[in-house]
Amino acid sequence: MIFDIGYLMLISGLVLAAYGVIAGFWGGQKRNTKLIQSSFNTVYVVAILVLSASAILWYGLLADAFELTYVWNHSERALPTFYKFSALWGGQQGSLLFWCLLLSGYSAIVAFFNRKRHQLLMPYVNAILLTTSLFFLILLVFAANPFKRVGFIPPDGQGLNPLLQNYWMVIHPVMLYLGFVGMAVPFAFAVAALISRKLDNEWVRTVRRWTLIPWMFLSAGIIMGSQWAYMELGWGGYWAWDAVENASFLPWLTGTAFLHSIIIQEQRGILKVWNMVLIWLTYFLVILGTFTTRSGILESVHSFARSDVGPYFLVFLILIMFGFIWLLFSRMPLLRSDHPIDSYTSREAAFLGNNWLFTALAFATLWGTFFPMFSELLTGQRISVAAPFFNKVNGPLFLMLLFLMGAAPLLGWRHTSLSAFRKQFTIPIIAGLAVAGLVFVVARSLYPMVGLGICGFVVAAILQEYVRGAMARRSVNHENIFVAVANLWRRNGRRYGGYIVHLGIVMIGVAVIGNEFYQQSTNVTLNTGESAKVGRYELEFAGMESNREANRIEFGARLIIYDEAGKAIGTVIPQRNIYDKTPDQPTTEVGLQMSPIEDVYVVLNGWENQGESATFTIYVNPLTVWMWIGGIVLVLGVLIAIWPHPVLRRAEGMQAVAYATGD
Amino acid sequence: MFGFRIADAQDATAPSAAATPVSPDDVNAVAKQLWCPLCSNVRLDSCELKACSQMKDVIAQQLADGTEVQEIKNYFVAQYGPQVLGEPPMEGFNWLAWLLPIAVVIGGAAFIWTRARKMVQTPKPEDDTPDQISGMPADPYAEKLDKELKQYD
Repeated sequence: MIFDIGYLMLISGLVLAAYGVIAGFWGGQKRNTKLIQSSFNTVYVVAILVLSASAILWYGLLADAFELTYVWNHSERALPTFYKFSALWGGQQGSLLFWCLLLSGYSAIVAFFNRKRHQLLMPYVNAILLTTSLFFLILLVFAANPFKRVGFIPPDGQGLNPLLQNYWMVIHPVMLYLGFVGMAVPFAFAVAALISRKLDNEWVRTVRRWTLIPWMFLSAGIIMGSQWAYMELGWGGYWAWDAVENASFLPWLTGTAFLHSIIIQEQRGILKVWNMVLIWLTYFLVILGTFTTRSGILESVHSFARSDVGPYFLVFLILIMFGFIWLLFSRMPLLRSDHPIDSYTSREAAFLGNNWLFTALAFATLWGTFFPMFSELLTGQRISVAAPFFNKVNGPLFLMLLFLMGAAPLLGWRHTSLSAFRKQFTIPIIAGLAVAGLVFVVARSLYPMVGLGICGFVVAAILQEYVRGAMARRSVNHENIFVAVANLWRRNGRRYGGYIVHLGIVMIGVAVIGNEFYQQSTNVTLNTGESAKVGRYELEFAGMESNREANRIEFGARLIIYDEAGKAIGTVIPQRNIYDKTPDQPTTEVGLQMSPIEDVYVVLNGWENQGESATFTIYVNPLTVWMWIGGIVLVLGVLIAIWPHPVLRRAEGMQAVAYATGD
Repeated sequence: MFGFRIADAQDATAPSAAATPVSPDDVNAVAKQLWCPLCSNVRLDSCELKACSQMKDVIAQQLADGTEVQEIKNYFVAQYGPQVLGEPPMEGFNWLAWLLPIAVVIGGAAFIWTRARKMVQTPKPEDDTPDQISGMPADPYAEKLDKELKQYD
C-alpha cells in the first residue's frame, strides 16, 4: 500500500514538473507574476514529493520489504543497517531516484535563495531545472520504477553487491552525484540568460558559486572513488581510465575549464559564446555519463538494446544537443566580445591556453572512452582503450596544464613587461630546476624529473604570491603574518583560495607521479614465520586469522613490517571477504601502512595448507598518500574561495534590493 | 576452514615449469603490459580469472624458453586479438584513435592562435582597466564594489 503511494508521488511529481516547466517559460515570456510564483511553488512541491518517495523506498529497504524487486535485488536481512540505507543508490532504479532527489533538492535551494533576485532569469532557471527533473521522473515512472513488485514475498533478498559494501562506496556516490547533479544549476542559469536575452555578466557572477560547489563535490567524489579503488580492487593503483571513471572525469574537465573561463569573461568581457558552450558541454557530459553508466553501452554495444533506460537517455541527449545549439545561434549577435586580447604574454592568453588544454583533454578522454564502441560497430573488432592509451595521450597535456597552473597567475592582465616577467618568474624557475636536479640525483628518470620539476615551479609560484600578498598587507596595515594571510583569504578568498586549490592539485600530481613511476612490487608465497623483502622493508607472515561477520566471513593474514634496521614499524592485515550470498565473488581488502614517503600495500591472493602458507602481492607505493591529502586541501581551498566576502555580501544585498525595486 | 581456496589465483604464482628460474615477478613484469581479454579494463597481473592464470602460465613457459617480451605480446595478440594490448594497435581504422586527439590538439591551438592574433593586431581603444602585475594590487573586490556602487548612485 505505502509503496503504491510512493509510485503515486512519482507520477504526481511528473505531472507537476511538466506543469512547472510550462509555468516557468510562459510566465517568463509574459512577465506574469502569478505564473512565475507558481513555478517557484512547483519547484518546492516536486522536491517534497521526490523526497517523500525516496523516504518510502528507504523505509522499504530498512524494513526488508522484499516484495519490492529493488529491495529484493539489492538488500538482504543480514545486511548491516548502514548498507541498507546506502542501498538506495546501489542499483539502477534507486540511483536514478537518488539523482532526482538531489536535483530537486538543488532546485529548491536555488529557487529559495534567489526568490527575490534575478527576476528576469529565475522563471527560466526554474523551468530548465524542472525539465531535467521531468526527464528523470519520466524514467522513474515508465522505465525504472523503484517500487516495482516481485509478485510474491521472497523470504530474503539477494544481497548488495559486495564491492559496494565498503565505507568509501557509501560516501563516494553521494559526493559524485552532488557534483554531477549540481552542474545542472549553472547550465540552467546560462540557458535562462540566453532565453531572456539578459546576457550581461549577471548570470556569470551568479553561477560562479553555484559551479564551485558542485565542482568541489565532484572533485571530492572522484578522489573518494580513487580511494575506494585503491583500497578495494587490489591492483596497487587508484585510477584505471575505466569507462565509468572517465564518465565522472569528463564533466570535471569541462567544468574546470568553465570555472577559469568565466573569470576572463567577468574581467575582460570576452569568450561569451565559448563559456556558454563549456557549461552546456558540462551538463551534456553529466547526462551522457549517467547514460553510459546506466545503460552499460560501453561494456558492450549489445547491452544497450537490453537496457530499459537507454533509449530515453538517447532522446534526451539529442534534445539537449540540438535545442541548445539552436538557442545559441539565435542569440549569437548578442554575445560579442567587449575587449580584444592585447598580448600573448597576458593572463588572458594563459587562460586561452588553459581552455585549449582542458578541452583537448576532454576530447581525448571522450574519444578514447567511446572508441572501442566505434571500432566494434564499424570493424567488428574488439579492442581495448585503457591506461597505455590515456597515459600517452593525456599525460603530456596534463604536464602542460600543470605548468600553466604555475605560470598563469604570474602574468598580468593585458600584458606583462619584460622586467615584470623577470621579477615574477625568477624564483619559481629556480625552484623548479632545483627540484628537477634533486630528482636527477635521488631517483633518475626523465618524466618524473620534468613532472616533479614543474610541481616545484608551481609550488614556488604559489608561495611567492602568498609572500607578496602578505608582505603588502603587513606594510600597509601593519598586520602580523598570520593575520595577513587570514585577511588575504577573507578579503580576497577567490584568488588566494584558488591558489590553495592549485596546491591540492599539485599534491595529487606528485602522488600520481610517485605511484606511476616509482612503484615497486613483488609476488611471494610465504610459510608462517617466513619473510619477504620489498624496497626498504621486510614483511614477516605471522599467520592467518578469520572473523565471522553478519553476512560474510573475513579471512586475514597478519604481516609484521620491519624497516632496514630490523625494527618492527607496523602490522598489516590484508583480507579476503567471502560473502554468504555471493561466495564466488570474494572481495579484497588491502593491508595498508601509509606514510608521507611511501605506502606499504599488501594484497592477499590466496592461502594453502590450512593457512600455513599464503600468497601475497606486495607493493611499495611512493608518495601516494599525497593524493588524499591533496583532495582535502582542494576542498579547503574551494571553501575559502566561496566563503561570502564581508564587503561583497553587503554589495550583493544592495544589488538584490536594486533588482527587486525594478532593476 | 583455511582449506578454502580463492579462485585459482595460486596458479599464477606457481608456474608449471617449477624447475626454471622464472620468478613470479618476472611473469608479472610481462603481465603488467597485457590486459585481460575477457574482462573490461583489468590488467592481466591483477586478474583472477582462470583464463588469465593460464595466460600467466604461458608467459612463464615462454620466458623459461627464452622468448622475448615483444614476441610474447605478439603471441597473445595473435591468440586473443588486439584487445590484450590495452591500447588500439597503430594500424588500419585504429589509427584514428591516435590521430584524432592529436589533430584536435593541433587544430585547437591553430584556431586559438589565429583568433588571438587577429585580436592582438587590431588597434584598440584605451580602456581603463588597470594594467597590473599580481603582487598586491588594489583589492579587486573593492574596485568592483566601487564600480557597482557608482551604477546605483
